[in-house]
Amino acid sequence: MKPGKVIGTAALGFFFLLFVALDLVLFGILPLNSVMITIMPIVGLLVGGGLAAYGSKNQPAA
Amino acid sequence: MKTIRWAATGLLFGMLVAGSGRAANAELSGACQASGTWRTAGISVDAAAIGTEVVTIPRSDTVDWQGSVSGPPGVHHGSIWVELPPPFGSVEIDSWGGQGVTTSNSGAEEYDLPKIVPAGVEFQVVGEHVDANGTCSGSVRLRVSGGAFDSPLVYVSLLGTVGTGAGAALMLRPMFRRVAS
Repeated sequence: MKPGKVIGTAALGFFFLLFVALDLVLFGILPLNSVMITIMPIVGLLVGGGLAAYGSKNQPAA
Repeated sequence: MKTIRWAATGLLFGMLVAGSGRAANAELSGACQASGTWRTAGISVDAAAIGTEVVTIPRSDTVDWQGSVSGPPGVHHGSIWVELPPPFGSVEIDSWGGQGVTTSNSGAEEYDLPKIVPAGVEFQVVGEHVDANGTCSGSVRLRVSGGAFDSPLVYVSLLGTVGTGAGAALMLRPMFRRVAS
C-alpha cells in the first residue's frame, strides 16, 4: 500500500464530490441548505481513499 | 471491481434522491402575519399561505413588506437569515429588537443582487420574532430568476468537477490495471 497515493486520491475524491454537489446546487437540483452538500465530499474522501487502498493492495509486486 | 463500481454509483444515486427531497416544514407558526410584494415583478408572498412553494424572484427589485403581531409586543427581538448547508449555519440578513406597543410594522426594501449570486439556486429564508405574545417563526423558499450560466461560479464549479474527476481517474487507473494471465 502506498499511503501517498491513498491520501492523494482521497483528497481528489473529496474535492470531486464537493464540486459535483456545487454543480447540483448551481443547477437547482439540490437546495442551498441541503445536507447532501456536507455528506457528498465526505463520501468522496472515503470512497477515493478506499478504492486507492483496495487498488494498491491488489497490485502485483514490481 | 465491477460490484464496487455499481455499489458506489447506487449509493450516490440513492443519496441524491434522498437528499433532494423537500422538507415539509411549517411556513409560519405563532400569532403573527408577514407578507411582501415585489413592486416590479408584481409577486406577492404571504408567509402563512405560501406553503412549500418555491418563489422565483427578480435579481433586483423593491419589496414592500409588512408584519404584525397579535398584541403589544413589549420587549421583543427578531431576525431574518438564509439557511446554509450544515455545519455552516446561516447568514443573517437583518435583525431588530427593543421595546414597544405597536402591533404592526411595514416598509420598503430595495435590493440588487450582484451577478456572482447564482440564478436558479433554491434557498430558504427564515425569520423569527420573539415578544411578550410568544415566538413567531416562518420561512419561505426563494430562487433568483435566470439561468445557471448567468453566474461565473458555474464555470468555476464545472472546471473543478472536470479537473478533480480527471485527476481522481488518473490516480486510480494504474491501480486497477488488469494483470495479464
